[in-house]
Amino acid sequence: MSFLEVKNLRKSFRLTDSLGRAAGQLVAVDNLSLSLQQGETLGLVGESGCGKSTTGKLILQLLPSDGGQVIFDGEDLTQLSTRQMRPYRRRIQMIFQDPFSSLNPRMTVGSILSEPLLIHRLAPPRQVRDRVIELLEKVGLSAEHEQRYPHEFSGGQRQRVGIARALAVEPQLIIADEPVSALDLSVQAQILNLLQGFQQEHNLSYLFIAHDLAVIEHVSDRIAVMYLGKIVELTSAEELYKNPCHPYTEALLNAVPVPDPDQPRPTALKGEIPSPVNPPSGCYFHPRCPYADDRCRQQQPELLDIGHKHQVACYHSEQVGRFLLQK
Amino acid sequence: MPPRLAVNNLQSYFFTRTGLIKAVDDVSFNIAQGETLALVGESGCGKSMTALSLLRLLPEPGRIVGGEISLDGRDLLRLPDVEMRRIRGNEISMIFQEPMTSLNPVLRIGEQIAEVLRLHQGDTKQQALEQAAELLIQVGIADPKRRLREYPHQLSGGQRQRIMIAIALACDPKLLIADEPTTALDVTIQAQIMDLLLELKEQRQMATLLISHDLGVVAGNADKLAVMYAGQIVEFGTVKRIFENPLHPYTQGLLQCIPRLGQKNRLSTIPGQLPDLRKQLEGCLFLDRCPGPCAPCGHQSPEIEEFEPDHWVRCWRY
Repeated sequence: MSFLEVKNLRKSFRLTDSLGRAAGQLVAVDNLSLSLQQGETLGLVGESGCGKSTTGKLILQLLPSDGGQVIFDGEDLTQLSTRQMRPYRRRIQMIFQDPFSSLNPRMTVGSILSEPLLIHRLAPPRQVRDRVIELLEKVGLSAEHEQRYPHEFSGGQRQRVGIARALAVEPQLIIADEPVSALDLSVQAQILNLLQGFQQEHNLSYLFIAHDLAVIEHVSDRIAVMYLGKIVELTSAEELYKNPCHPYTEALLNAVPVPDPDQPRPTALKGEIPSPVNPPSGCYFHPRCPYADDRCRQQQPELLDIGHKHQVACYHSEQVGRFLLQK
Repeated sequence: MPPRLAVNNLQSYFFTRTGLIKAVDDVSFNIAQGETLALVGESGCGKSMTALSLLRLLPEPGRIVGGEISLDGRDLLRLPDVEMRRIRGNEISMIFQEPMTSLNPVLRIGEQIAEVLRLHQGDTKQQALEQAAELLIQVGIADPKRRLREYPHQLSGGQRQRIMIAIALACDPKLLIADEPTTALDVTIQAQIMDLLLELKEQRQMATLLISHDLGVVAGNADKLAVMYAGQIVEFGTVKRIFENPLHPYTQGLLQCIPRLGQKNRLSTIPGQLPDLRKQLEGCLFLDRCPGPCAPCGHQSPEIEEFEPDHWVRCWRY
């Protein structure tokens, strides 16, 4: 049994027009299953709108799911009441993309960090301040920052505060939703190193959500590639990079710009991600896929194991790799 | 051939209540016709302020206090406001990072493109809309007649950026400024937009100033590179030279902190952060973060000097 086991998770949103009348249904997460071990990082990658953030929120029960199970440490979180869920909110924490909007602008950093300690009674009131300073130092800030407000910090520092807040309650699983995509490259590297350091220190599990495949590949043990609410490929980071078996993964790898002027320019995947309200027939990827044939247009491939712990949902997985740029 | 754009010793200062900030401090560069210069650096290093200075659109309390900006030999800093207005959107255009906030949400796409053409080329509404449809085809938008009647919220992020490009290119500018044109987009769409910009640049032989913090994007899309730090250009040269042999410790740091596909080693970082420019700083501005400072760095600021042909650096080590 894995530490976190997500089975057949589903979520759709009902859409309404401006007068409140039903206007179709958006399937955000479609029968998604994944698992995560203790101390492991699972990367979730895909274009905007593919359902990766919704998946994160469903796991944390910030959104009610339509069906499926989220089994964390043996307990199905989808069956718990709000009260029963409370201890799990401590054990699972989230780090958000935008450090500008995820910190309360009217609270000092000291009170932002002490609030979770008091709520979850993790430190006696008299020791809270010491613990806050300890946390600040852990993420590379110092005691002098305790009395400051979020607006006095740079983006990278704010993300450090967000990480300190998540770590304050000694979680076991952290869902990091695009934690570095709003940051400069030099700061991005600092934050990634920080996250990896904590993982080793505390044996944390990460679900790392990002759209940047180079970042995902760097931090993850295994990677799940999502397209329009479904996982289309799931395997180890190394295998995914060396032997992509889904044409979408291949296209994502090709689109990553390489910081070397002698390498070929990235090749663009044609077309845009289709609307999840009205997805294409058959395989959702077929309108953008160079391998697609009639079968792909009519039938939807299932996510199947092709050996070496490699799962892929494509009828042409043996052929994929033909268009891969050699970098 | 003289360069299309020549910037010499540009100084743009911000006169804030808490002190003077030299946001652009003695910046010089040239861009030739059909050439792309990339301006790279962290947020707050002055890249966007350099771009806004070129258009004379610095926000308050910023002011250009010195230097020269010449476009085809004309000094833009000496032009009266009326003439400068004829240059903006016409001879120099700009594409911004966030296509959602830079398009007017209550105007149809067609009107927003047509506005530029009517203003600068005196087209009638009908002519302008026809030309707008033509432009949409060039930027790769299908069914242009229908798109012209739509509003920005009906388009995806990538399509909005294509519309921004169509507006910027409507008057066939001599210089295009692209300020982080793909930062808000997915990698797959980023590759599409960069392909489009390259193709259009080659057709029209525009000079392009590409502002980016992503050295990956720069490597494939620029001819020359200027690395900016704390308001100054610290390294300048052809993309090839700089990637092969980065000289400034800041450039070296930037190149080392990029996660690369297939490499799992710990990322190296540049410790510290940009200095507070309100303080009077002595010596090299990069001193606090430099892995190997030498004797003069603490008290004397280095000048930018030629290290080899096509390669300049601002560092005492060379």
